[in-house]
Amino acid sequence: MTASTKGAGPVIVAESLGKWYGEVIGLNNFNLEIKPGITGVVGPNGSGKSTFFKLVLGLIKPNTGTISVFGQTPWGNPGLHSKIGFCPDYESLPRDSTGREFLSLVGHLHAMEGAALSKRIEEVATLVEMRHALDRKTGGYSKGMKQRMKIAGALIHDPQLLILDEPLSGTDPIVRKELIDLTKRLNKEHDHVVVVSSHVLFEIERLTHDVALMYKGRTVASGDISDIRALIDKHPHNIVIEGDGMPSLAKALLEEEYTVSVAFNGDRDGITVQVSRPDDFFSGLPGLIGEAGCSVTSMYSLDDNLEAIFKYLVGR
Amino acid sequence: MDLKTIMTGIYALTHHSLKGLLFSRKAVITALVMLLTVAVMGYAGAQDVDALTEGANMMDVLILFFFMPVMAMIFGSSLIRDEIDSKSITHVATAPLDRAFAYIGYYVPLALAVSVSMILITTAGFLSFFLQQGIDAAAIEIYLEFTTLVIIGSFVYSSLFLATSVLFNKPVFFGLFYAFIWEGFIGSIPGAIQKASVKHYLRSVGSGWVDYGDISGFDASSIGASTAVLLGLTVFFLVFGAYLFREKELS
Repeated sequence: MTASTKGAGPVIVAESLGKWYGEVIGLNNFNLEIKPGITGVVGPNGSGKSTFFKLVLGLIKPNTGTISVFGQTPWGNPGLHSKIGFCPDYESLPRDSTGREFLSLVGHLHAMEGAALSKRIEEVATLVEMRHALDRKTGGYSKGMKQRMKIAGALIHDPQLLILDEPLSGTDPIVRKELIDLTKRLNKEHDHVVVVSSHVLFEIERLTHDVALMYKGRTVASGDISDIRALIDKHPHNIVIEGDGMPSLAKALLEEEYTVSVAFNGDRDGITVQVSRPDDFFSGLPGLIGEAGCSVTSMYSLDDNLEAIFKYLVGR
Repeated sequence: MDLKTIMTGIYALTHHSLKGLLFSRKAVITALVMLLTVAVMGYAGAQDVDALTEGANMMDVLILFFFMPVMAMIFGSSLIRDEIDSKSITHVATAPLDRAFAYIGYYVPLALAVSVSMILITTAGFLSFFLQQGIDAAAIEIYLEFTTLVIIGSFVYSSLFLATSVLFNKPVFFGLFYAFIWEGFIGSIPGAIQKASVKHYLRSVGSGWVDYGDISGFDASSIGASTAVLLGLTVFFLVFGAYLFREKELS
């Protein structure tokens, strides 16, 4: 069990942080405070999430600004790593080693040895439900097993701060649910501060309400996810509706105050509606469909991808 | 950082890397080089020659002169770079172990693995030649002297190639250039320029030990000075490589 972090101040503080690779900007004037609990860092690919984590871990040094983790500067400070566990988003397990050999290597690198290390390996393997596969080569693991073993490696030295970079990426829905449950348990029962990244907002919503949204190397919003959702909902949404009788539905929609525009798609079997208040639109739509006497076969939002949401937020 | 953290970390990396170096595709390369050495020295051993002179010359030219830098290059030039490229270095870089000590944890197994490989090659060559010519005390002396030289060479060349594996993004190209062009060609040009090769100082040290073959008459720098140069080069490349590794951003 880690030292308790409940009620403590921020664990990570980034101020005016900047990092670039040649002409490519990784982070630009990035500000963020991460407090104990589970914090979700959400952003599309290339938004700077991994760069931020590398700065937290001291794998790279910032060009501008400051970053502190537990009040210490990460770059050139290997001692800080005894407080941090990191599960990267890429393949990092040595293919020719078994899970036990991998955990033994990581444990030794954290100055653990002997019976205490052997016991801890069993504990973390049990925690991530990988005890049965400890003596198998990691090269033969499935994606979900690899993710669990990487998480076990991050947990072996019982760190206060656990950084999980895209842990759900590429996993099937069952594994995803199990990893989400595990992450929640690590915070709730084992008191780890967890920072978890994803490029899928709804995945993070299932983990935590405390999120930071990143886009193009900046924090575009941070705080409670319901506030951010409200912020998002203030901006026009594009929804595609397909079915029969679309012209009469389009006419009914144009009479509503929240409708910004309606456009027919191709053969008039579908329309794209731009609305300013999505909540009003979704609650009023069943009534409008009934009034128009049409039937809807499918409906989807063009704005479900994060890129569109971030464009709204940046443009506001 | 306490001593326990440092020693446990170096032990862990040594254990992990040594296993990877000795039981990987590099073991196949060692076996192939052994076969080649057996073929060449076995053929030479089947001829009617002065056994001690010809045997010493074969071990000098084939093993110390040619295979020594080549094997060190094969083992060392991509050791750290491969881990950086595969990102398995993450577990080392996020451990509470100063990277300068982690670097030592790569150097020790590398030098040991190159030594083991070169001892096997030297032994195979020696046996294939002298089993035909007859093994006596003088032959065993030659074997032990060249074995000592390849062990010293393993530690020196390993420090050089490990540093290049941090310095260059494509260290194998530099390694090929260095092993074949610099050591192989520049190191054999008559005159002072050959003193710019590691091989010159290895042969200088060997000239004081080996009583047979061309190496015994090698126009050497003083043995003491050569030993100091080899030691100095090893320490320099270790410190230089450790510094580079410590300051390297792992993005």
